[in-house]
Amino acid sequence: MNFINSVSMNVRTLVVAGILAASLAGTVANAQSKLNVVTSTEDLGSIAREVGGDKVNVTALARGFQDPHFVEPKPSFILAVNRAALYIAVGRELEIGWLPPLLTSSRNAKIQPGAPGYLDASQNVRILEIPTGQITRAMGDVHPLGNPHYWLEPGNGRLIAQAIRNKLSELAPADKAYFAQRYDDFDRRLAAAEKRWDATMAPYKGTKVVTYHRSWPNFMARFGLEVVGYVEPKPGIPPSPSHTIDLVEEMKRSSIKLIVVEPYFSLKTPQAIANQVPGAKVLVLAPSVGGVKEVTDYIQLFEYDVNLLAGALKQITGK
Amino acid sequence: MDWSIFQFLAPAIAASLIIAGIHAYLGLHVVERGVIFVDLSLAQIASLGAAIAVWQGYDPHDSSVIYWMSLAFTLIGAVIFAVIKGHEARIPQEAFIGISYAVASAAVILTLSKATGEAEHLRDMLVGNILSVQWPEVGLTALIYLAIGVFHYVFRRRFLEISLDPVATAARGVSVRFWDFLFYASFGLVVTRSVAIAGVLLVFCYLIVPSVGGMLFSARIGPRLAIGWVMGVLVSMLGMYFSVQFDLPTGATIVCTFGLALIGMAAARPLFRRA
Repeated sequence: MNFINSVSMNVRTLVVAGILAASLAGTVANAQSKLNVVTSTEDLGSIAREVGGDKVNVTALARGFQDPHFVEPKPSFILAVNRAALYIAVGRELEIGWLPPLLTSSRNAKIQPGAPGYLDASQNVRILEIPTGQITRAMGDVHPLGNPHYWLEPGNGRLIAQAIRNKLSELAPADKAYFAQRYDDFDRRLAAAEKRWDATMAPYKGTKVVTYHRSWPNFMARFGLEVVGYVEPKPGIPPSPSHTIDLVEEMKRSSIKLIVVEPYFSLKTPQAIANQVPGAKVLVLAPSVGGVKEVTDYIQLFEYDVNLLAGALKQITGK
Repeated sequence: MDWSIFQFLAPAIAASLIIAGIHAYLGLHVVERGVIFVDLSLAQIASLGAAIAVWQGYDPHDSSVIYWMSLAFTLIGAVIFAVIKGHEARIPQEAFIGISYAVASAAVILTLSKATGEAEHLRDMLVGNILSVQWPEVGLTALIYLAIGVFHYVFRRRFLEISLDPVATAARGVSVRFWDFLFYASFGLVVTRSVAIAGVLLVFCYLIVPSVGGMLFSARIGPRLAIGWVMGVLVSMLGMYFSVQFDLPTGATIVCTFGLALIGMAAARPLFRRA
């Protein structure tokens, strides 16, 4: 009995092991046939997932609640980039503090800037605040390549998706039709959502707002809001007293009641400014996918921000 | 555990060993002199030089002008620290070091607020990250540190007698100020480079912790230096390992490993006492 039992046990173990090995081999084969895509931010990661579907493995490096200007590289980043077939960067010097050394350290020739596996997502999108003519120091803060927070405009999201579709089709020509179909589906859902957002934001066209960092020009322009000032006198520089006083005066004069802040900045200064302007509010919006827990993809990012913003504007304007 | 990651970490490991080597030795002097925060102060003065170069319109990505500017400021810092030592009877030298640190840091903020372009990237550029160091940088750093190491080896008795007992050395007619300038200048040269590679926190640990660890177990210079070197190397390797194993930012992981190692050594100390 014992003997039979142990034999049947062994057989069972063997069968289980065989199934495990087979499924493991399956996963490995599957992983190999998928294209490894690494993106700088979760926004690009989300769009890459929309277009790539189950033909790609997407890894986003910067988390949505992190300031994408400052990312602390970790050992896993190097491994991820080393194994990437495609790297998608935000570009416009947003990642200049951390990406170039990371790409060099990865020793992956396929994804170096200029190589076919490197995609600068900002190449074909609408970029705001590009200075024209000679840049002089008297102009103060000027970003020579324009504002890098361009993904906060659904139209640009569509253009990014197109660029990713074209790039993926180039890297995996066999799946071209699949990527095209995925893109069309994303395009349709985005267009439907845009109609909804436009309707929600329509009553507040022309409202003036203040933002902390210059992250929102594309977003505000898209929904017809006007950014008239920044809490930061210039990016990365703490507010000076005279700048803060000027801002409070400007907000009182033009009856601006809303200060939009990114989640990675302290609310102290914005709150202090809001306290001095009657009826003013501070609102934290998500500048990226993953910036708050609820926002898990690109369309939800706008869903969340538009609803929050419309809610706040409704209170302020009474419309 | 994915061991293939270590082939990418090789430059960082080499850099950390080179930094551990020279800083454990310089740390001995720094702790003896009681100028614990002098490296932070000199690093900040060097950053001010770099910030001024950027403000003057030099491209922050073209490192050569920036590097020479920060070097020039380091030498100015060395002069300041060598000169203020004369007043040590009334005011502790550490007070001047703290003041230089605060003023230099604030001056960096002021300078960057006047600079063209996005100031937010500049802070990152002045402070390195050990994970992104490349072989050419490691090689050049090794050569520079070797030269400074030889210089310190040749004049080791002079530097040591000033660090241990400056009053007696001055009484013998040695120009303490001149030698102090040489010490702070060579020290500043090392610190500026190390900070550009590894960042402020990590460099501070490489300088002070091995030296303190050595002092826990011995009063003699030789054994202290040996303990410091062994500690610096072991903690670097262990910190790298933790960083990979738990996927944590490398520099901060090594800093905390230094802290844990020091606690462990302090706890183990009574055992050695009794033996």
